[in-house]
Amino acid sequence: MEELNAIREAVIRGLHREIEARIGEATAAGVPLAAVMNDGLIAAMDEVGRRYGTGEIFVPEMLVAALTMKKGLDILKPLLASGGAAPVGTILMATVKGDLHDIGKNIVVMMLEGAGFRVIDLGVDVDAQKVIRGIEEEHPEILGFSSLLTTTMPEMGAIIAALSARGLRDRVRIMVGGAPLDAAYAARIGADGYGRDAVAAVEMARRFVER
Amino acid sequence: MRDTPKNLFMSALFGGRRGARPPAGNPTSIACVELMKSCGAFFPEAHLNPRAMADLAIAGHEIAGFDTVMPEFSVHQESAALGCQVDWGSPEKMPDALNAPHADFSDIVIPEAILEKPSLRTVLEAIALLRREAGDQVGIIGKVMGPWTLSYHLAGTQNFLLQVGLGETGKVTRMLRQLMPLTVAFANAQLRAGADAVVLADHATGNLVGPYHYRDLLLPLHREITAAIGGPIILHVCGNCLDRLELFADSGVDAYHFEWQVDAKAAVERIGSRVSLAGNVNNPRALLQGTPEEVYRQARYAIDAGVDIIGPECAIPLATPLENLQAIVEACREGY
Repeated sequence: MEELNAIREAVIRGLHREIEARIGEATAAGVPLAAVMNDGLIAAMDEVGRRYGTGEIFVPEMLVAALTMKKGLDILKPLLASGGAAPVGTILMATVKGDLHDIGKNIVVMMLEGAGFRVIDLGVDVDAQKVIRGIEEEHPEILGFSSLLTTTMPEMGAIIAALSARGLRDRVRIMVGGAPLDAAYAARIGADGYGRDAVAAVEMARRFVER
Repeated sequence: MRDTPKNLFMSALFGGRRGARPPAGNPTSIACVELMKSCGAFFPEAHLNPRAMADLAIAGHEIAGFDTVMPEFSVHQESAALGCQVDWGSPEKMPDALNAPHADFSDIVIPEAILEKPSLRTVLEAIALLRREAGDQVGIIGKVMGPWTLSYHLAGTQNFLLQVGLGETGKVTRMLRQLMPLTVAFANAQLRAGADAVVLADHATGNLVGPYHYRDLLLPLHREITAAIGGPIILHVCGNCLDRLELFADSGVDAYHFEWQVDAKAAVERIGSRVSLAGNVNNPRALLQGTPEEVYRQARYAIDAGVDIIGPECAIPLATPLENLQAIVEACREGY
């Protein structure tokens, strides 16, 4: 469909000033809201992730695409509310204690929102207590941690241990990411998966909520 | 050539005659908790007290066995001088900036006496101490942040990269140009204080920004910076930079310090005839979590590939075991 193509193109190219008009054209042409969301915005972010993975684009372009997607979501949300589109799942995201670098986590958050998840972002410098409170209040299916610094990597294991002690570990699937990590480290600290980039994180989150 | 640590380092820096072995060098920090304990100089004092800074730097030679010393352990000496609020951390925690005072891209005016600011004066005084006390023995490496890294600190990394993505070239370039004079002034002051070479750390990092961003926005500035600095320059850019190695070689630097993600053989083949190469032992897997044997094997791989100066890929994690650091030196001592 031409209108959906235009929406995808706007997100991929980061045309944040045009996205409102493109969505307006689509809804005027009778394109269902669910299609605008799934085949327009979400499909576009999948393509953005693919292009990042192959090195065609980098973080600056990804940030602008995510900004455009978010603008689109904000337009759709009130319209969709009456239609009752349920989120794919709920994810609690955090950058661990001692680490103030959150750009990677922010991109993952934006990509997850783009993929239809409800994301609760606890921010940076997050400790076990905050995570425990988050799980008890928000009941997420998934927990996502990031650490950009080698110095803060051990904090992830400490939080997972605290969740086990509290009897909360089995309530969530845990995914971790960040420049100094790898799959072996994720396994060692008892996480369920490691995402090497935002695309991998979204794929993993989708797998985790598949029923 | 006599195989003194200084000679080996200086010759390798310019791709000159080879001695009996490659030098073990550290363009970025090799401070770790064990090294701090061994010399009694700890973070955060070692960031702000010239004596502690010099003591910790010289421990890298006397205790770890490296052929160079490098006293700037953090990336925040300049940002602190430019008005960022910095948490100077602890022996287990690297410093971090707590705010981004120019998130609105407002004009940055470099104060005339900025080199007198405590965080910068400390580095200059530490280099002078090292020159007086060890200048006859080791290569002394200074370090400055380039305008791209300084922009991350002053505008916020994500905010700065968003403006790059939005195509706000005028805004981005203005900030870079306003910061560039500090990079040049601090580098030349370090050379005058006694540094044999300076590291230009500018994080146009692979996987973060593209080679086209570097080429269009930063390379022209790097050419101006390298033309204005009066001594040897080692460029440090993290990440997988295989897609921009030639651009780095075009920047006018004398050496490039690179990460494990870039295969040493590929780097030597592509730009080894134009610049010297320093690196590239893996930090998180080998130095932090690996065994001395793993570190040794990686260092030997780099030596066999033709890397000129052997060392960690980037500032090492503070929990790195000292024996892993020493395994790099051991690999170098075996010769070519």
